[in-house]
Amino acid sequence: MEVLSPYKEATDVILEAGGEPLKLCYQCGLCTGTCPWNLVRSFLVRRMMHEAQIGATDFGSEDVWTCVTCRACVQRCPRGVEIIDVIRAIRRSVASLGIGVIPDALRISAKNIAGVGNPLGEAPEKRNDWAQELKVKDFAAGTDVLYFPCCVPSYDADVKVVARSTAAIFNKLGIDYGLISTEAKCCGEAIRKAGHEDTFMSLAQNNIELFSKSGVKTAVVASPHCYHTFKNEYPELGANFEVLHVSQYLASLVEQGKLKPSKKIEKKVIYADPCYLGRHNEIYDEPRSVLRSISGLELVEFIDARDQGLCCGGGGGRIWMDTPKGERFSDIRTEQALEKGADVIAVACPYCVLNYRDSVLSMGKGESIQVKDITELVAEAL
Amino acid sequence: MEESKVGVYICHCGLNIAGVVNVEEVARYIGTLPNVAVARTYRYMCSDPGQDLVKKDIKELGIDRVVVASCSPRMHELTFRKAVEDGGLNPYLYEHANIREHCSWVHDDRKLATDKAKDLIRAAVKRVHHHEPLVIREIPLNPNVLVIGGGIAGMQAALDIANGQNHVYLVERDPSIGGHMAQLDRTFPTLDCSECILTPKMSDVGHHPFIELMTYSEVEEVSGSIGNFAVKIKKRARYVDESKCIGCGDCEEKCPRRTESEFEMGLCSRGMVYIPFPQAIPNTATLDKREERPCKAACKEACPIHMNVLGYTSLIKEGNFEEAYEVIRRTNPLPSVCGRVCYAPCEQACNRGQFDEHIAIRELKRFAADHEQELGKGKAVPAERTKEERVAIVGSGPAGLSCAYELVRQGYPVTVFEAGPEAGGLLRWAIPEYRLPREMLSNDISYIEGLGAEIKTNTPVKNLSEVFDQGYKAVFLATGADISQKMGIPGENTPGVLHALDFLKQVNFGSKVDLGSKVAVIGGGNAAVDAARVVRRLGVGEVTVVYRRSRDEMPAHPAEVAELEHEGVKIQFLAAPVKVLSENNAVTGIECIRMEMGATDSSGRRRPVPVEGSEFTMDVDNVIMAIGQGVDKSMLPEGLSYTSWGTLDVDPVSLQTNIDGVFAGGDVVSGPADVIAAIAAGKKAACSIDAYLTGEELSVEDDGRVEKLSDEELASIKERFVSRARVRAGKLDLEKRMKDFGEVEGTYSPEEAREEAGRCLAAAVEGCFECGECQAVCEAKAIDFGQEDEVVEVEVGTIIVATGYDQFDPSGIPQYGYKKLDNVLTGLEFERMTCAAGPTEGRIQLKDGRQPESVAIVHCVGSRDQNYHEYCSRVCCMYGLKYAHLAKELASADVYEFYIDMRCFGEGYEEFYKRLSEEGVNFIRGKVARVTDEAQTDEEQGKLIVVSEDTLLGKMIRVPVDMVILCSALEARSDAENVGRIFNINRRADGFFLERHVKLDPVATPTDGIFIAGCCEAPRDIPDTVAQAEATAGKALSLITKGTVTLEAAISTVDEAICHGCGRCEEICAFSAPKVISKNGNLISSVNEALCKGCGSCAVVCPTGAIGVKHFTQEEILAQVSALTEAH
Repeated sequence: MEVLSPYKEATDVILEAGGEPLKLCYQCGLCTGTCPWNLVRSFLVRRMMHEAQIGATDFGSEDVWTCVTCRACVQRCPRGVEIIDVIRAIRRSVASLGIGVIPDALRISAKNIAGVGNPLGEAPEKRNDWAQELKVKDFAAGTDVLYFPCCVPSYDADVKVVARSTAAIFNKLGIDYGLISTEAKCCGEAIRKAGHEDTFMSLAQNNIELFSKSGVKTAVVASPHCYHTFKNEYPELGANFEVLHVSQYLASLVEQGKLKPSKKIEKKVIYADPCYLGRHNEIYDEPRSVLRSISGLELVEFIDARDQGLCCGGGGGRIWMDTPKGERFSDIRTEQALEKGADVIAVACPYCVLNYRDSVLSMGKGESIQVKDITELVAEAL
Repeated sequence: MEESKVGVYICHCGLNIAGVVNVEEVARYIGTLPNVAVARTYRYMCSDPGQDLVKKDIKELGIDRVVVASCSPRMHELTFRKAVEDGGLNPYLYEHANIREHCSWVHDDRKLATDKAKDLIRAAVKRVHHHEPLVIREIPLNPNVLVIGGGIAGMQAALDIANGQNHVYLVERDPSIGGHMAQLDRTFPTLDCSECILTPKMSDVGHHPFIELMTYSEVEEVSGSIGNFAVKIKKRARYVDESKCIGCGDCEEKCPRRTESEFEMGLCSRGMVYIPFPQAIPNTATLDKREERPCKAACKEACPIHMNVLGYTSLIKEGNFEEAYEVIRRTNPLPSVCGRVCYAPCEQACNRGQFDEHIAIRELKRFAADHEQELGKGKAVPAERTKEERVAIVGSGPAGLSCAYELVRQGYPVTVFEAGPEAGGLLRWAIPEYRLPREMLSNDISYIEGLGAEIKTNTPVKNLSEVFDQGYKAVFLATGADISQKMGIPGENTPGVLHALDFLKQVNFGSKVDLGSKVAVIGGGNAAVDAARVVRRLGVGEVTVVYRRSRDEMPAHPAEVAELEHEGVKIQFLAAPVKVLSENNAVTGIECIRMEMGATDSSGRRRPVPVEGSEFTMDVDNVIMAIGQGVDKSMLPEGLSYTSWGTLDVDPVSLQTNIDGVFAGGDVVSGPADVIAAIAAGKKAACSIDAYLTGEELSVEDDGRVEKLSDEELASIKERFVSRARVRAGKLDLEKRMKDFGEVEGTYSPEEAREEAGRCLAAAVEGCFECGECQAVCEAKAIDFGQEDEVVEVEVGTIIVATGYDQFDPSGIPQYGYKKLDNVLTGLEFERMTCAAGPTEGRIQLKDGRQPESVAIVHCVGSRDQNYHEYCSRVCCMYGLKYAHLAKELASADVYEFYIDMRCFGEGYEEFYKRLSEEGVNFIRGKVARVTDEAQTDEEQGKLIVVSEDTLLGKMIRVPVDMVILCSALEARSDAENVGRIFNINRRADGFFLERHVKLDPVATPTDGIFIAGCCEAPRDIPDTVAQAEATAGKALSLITKGTVTLEAAISTVDEAICHGCGRCEEICAFSAPKVISKNGNLISSVNEALCKGCGSCAVVCPTGAIGVKHFTQEEILAQVSALTEAH
């Protein structure tokens, strides 16, 4: 008979790595019941908490890397347990102590980020190449706004359109903005959630110094993940600049009457709330008000929109890991969008762009539905 | 100041103090201070030997001031004051230093803590030096007690106190006492019926000679302090005289407006006048009037039968057409008829007409009647025959039918004798079918027959004594006025000259009437208009109405005149025929004369006078005379007396003729009038006949006054309402009208009807709109719309607050589907469902009426969850178990109990849990994530699926059930903040009231004399609530037994030489102690010592420093502060 003894050292490792909130858990199981993974497979969040509480965590388990950090469970936890912090602590323990196995895909991305400052492993000096034909100036002290597009739109051939659309909008509106030098690196949000704390620290320090040296006062970002870490994590490390997600920035331009899309887009558009914009930072209205500013556009909602919105599956480092067909949240979401009769799934996060485009393609629905970042839609309507 | 001899005593408090503070070192140091005669330490100063030390030193060492350094003064200041007093000193020559809570408990550095203790005690020594002896006084305590809240806690406390023969005022906000416990079906764990154990207590409270019950009342203001509180209580107007109401419930039955019943948790409705539940105490109706009606209900007053127009329009507005029809039926015997041909004096009077357009009352009535007919509803249920006296009614026109309708409904056997072949009188043979389809008339008549009235056609009544001989005890003559009057002009008897009624009768009975191509109709009344429009329908192209006055004087209904002209009939105003022209005994034309309007005649109308020499002729082939009708005496029995007008002469009040037992009404008495006047006469006769037959006095009711809106009222309506035109029903095309006699006026669609009814100003009122239905039915005459809120002032010595809890609204947790999915209930809803006296009479049922086969009970809904309430609501596990038992017992359902932890801590509770396990309840440990109706398998189809992790299995589960019961948290009352403010009670972060000490003073509040009991303090079950209530009663009774209140001696004093009476002290004081008075011509402040608590607010705001607080003088405080700040 297998008998388990509590193993205090394992608990201590997790607590030390930032897992302190796990002490509060009273094992009600609401996290498991709320977790989107259980729509497609079993993932017992509560049991992970309990294992961590008594030191029975299986650091070698695949489930260490399952959580997408979408925050649905944290939002509803009756004890307010920061479950993501606990998961992150378990991952940190694996990454720093080598007591488990890091999935290959994640290891490669982590290596790329640590090595060349972006997960795609592209050359750092090419970071701003996407803007070559768009006459975007380099950011210099005194420039109003820094546009920071995230590594994915900077390098990924299919997602560059997000950065380019934003630049097109800014150019058209005559906004005084620039791009930071190619010394900039990945923001580090996702790799931190994937347990690579040292890498994150070095990325953050690099970026904070660069921004500070360049005189950045306001940064407009394309990715909710950049937004989240710039807004909530960088300040503790000494950053001092204002950060706006591009949807917030555009919404303020709409409100001031500066942004008035003139062309009609007569399409039914459904907006998918990114977890890191919505649940993590409670930005729900701005992307919608940007979409509503486009005439002819009919905005529809998912059955579980806003704070109930389903994750695309790309948070917490999962964007670099393979999720088998049948377990992809963005497939479920795409089905839901099709049921609502939407022509376009509008997103506001580069990870969402990747995941939804993948879903639409692999489901063979390219004819019926498109995936577009809200900046693409605005640029089309200008 | 003289030297003093201070004794200082430093308590070890076991190791509580001595473990951190070096007490011996402190004592040695304090002993060196000036004025200190002795400094001792002792293990427990609060013990008797500890206190004896103090007493002994006072006696033996002659110390004259004492400092004890120990725990918080809240704990033991009074203990040591008492010891000082027992030792022979004034108790105020004492100072307390807190070296436990302020020192040892909050520090762990022994050295620093010891230094701090020295500082604190040194400061106390410096201060005590300045203390002066103060006098403690006592005042009498008012033995009356105020209890707020009539739930189980308030009732129990009130009964305990009142049983000791003390006067209790029990104030309850709701119409009845009983609280939440009255809503519960059974109580855990014994499963005894809540009502059965509660109602005897309610009754005791209601009848107790020492309890003055004030329901539907709220405390508005409390002033004064322990022993002498003055309380203002607002008794809300219940618009029912409590002394008259007998609680019969007739009013509620008749009320046309309904709203969700609060007591039944919205599972059924209640009237706007209601008794919340059958066992209510007081058993008195309450009228839920929330605002004044914006209009004067002139419609109702203007209607000759005072129909409840407000009632049925508001029901139509709400889409409740069936009930609207019932309301109409209560007063109107002929709704289909009136909905078409009534000339609607109500509409003329409608107050909305002053604003934009009057409400289409007649159309709405017709809509309600037609809608019920269409659905095949609205069939009569035979009236119960309760009377033996048979009544004969002669004539089956509207007056006769109405009289029959009322008498049959009152239980009389009634026979209607009709001379003609069919019933209906003028309605049948004079009113054209395009206005009143015969089928509609027949519907109304069949209804009356359905009630039980017998109608005998082709049976003229000639001899009254024959009628009486047949056993009839009373007769109502309603034979109408149906012979056409003649003009008395030459040629009137020429063939081709017709009389309107004869003409209409022939047409209506299908006889062929030969007309030429040009027809003149003489007259300006409704009969003339009907005749002219009928002539058009018979294919005559040129029809002219000749009327001797102008359009304004035309008695026909303006809408009818408009249709007349629309249909192509011309009107010659101010013209009168003087001769019918003829050739070969056939009409060729009429000679008319122009008229002009002359002086006003006796009827108040201007009289038309001929203009001499203005004669002209009109070529016509026929002339139809419609100039008036008269009573055909030949059709009436003999022996009756007549007026000079040729109508029957009757008593204007009783409608009795000169023959005993023979009554008459309608046109035969009034001369030709409209349908509604005839109906009114018939109804009036029915009352009169009933009075005659029963021998009771005929009660005559005042006709109300038709009032118009004043300018101010109209102005406020313009502010509140948006002008909206009346919704118009469609009309038959002109072309189609001429083809046959199809009904011209269309009717509303249900949506149009609701929209039009929504225009009614009264229907916009929330709550009662004073339609008066209840007033009419209340035999006790208890309804009083004029009642006003009343503020009562009472004086009491102690107050018990027992205001209870609110149930958490689970729609705040959208995942549980409450209010979105059918069959997701809260606990209280389920309680009402299982209660035998509840809306389902104890049947557990789903929305569709089925019994559930499976039930899920979800624990901790809003409890133990920091997103809602962090605390445990304490009762949910147990009531959840109770529901499981009931679901099994009453519905044989499978039960799934979703819990996180089972908390079954009270007497018999764990045993109950075991019993439910034995009963086969499925316990699933896991907090439910969501309740959904999205089925994933066939088994889940049509079910509610409860999704949760089974944390013991470590698996997600989906449980399909028919019903979900949410064990909703108990939360603080939504107005707890306001109540707390009124009674000066603090609240915890969770919103509940804060007790003075959670363990040692759990029912007291920081305000002396005010106690709290039950769920207003925290969620608790009934046994704990009752125990707490009894505890508060004990507290109050001990104060009453003592009879006096000790006044604080450390209170404010005014230096009258400095005070200049600015009044700031009066403004700031929460206890109303200082008052500015005039003394020797100067304004100064004077402090009421009985009210002053010594809080010191006044001293802080006093600009001159005239006001100070004894025991906290400037000197004392500065001495203490300077001791703390000095270096040592």
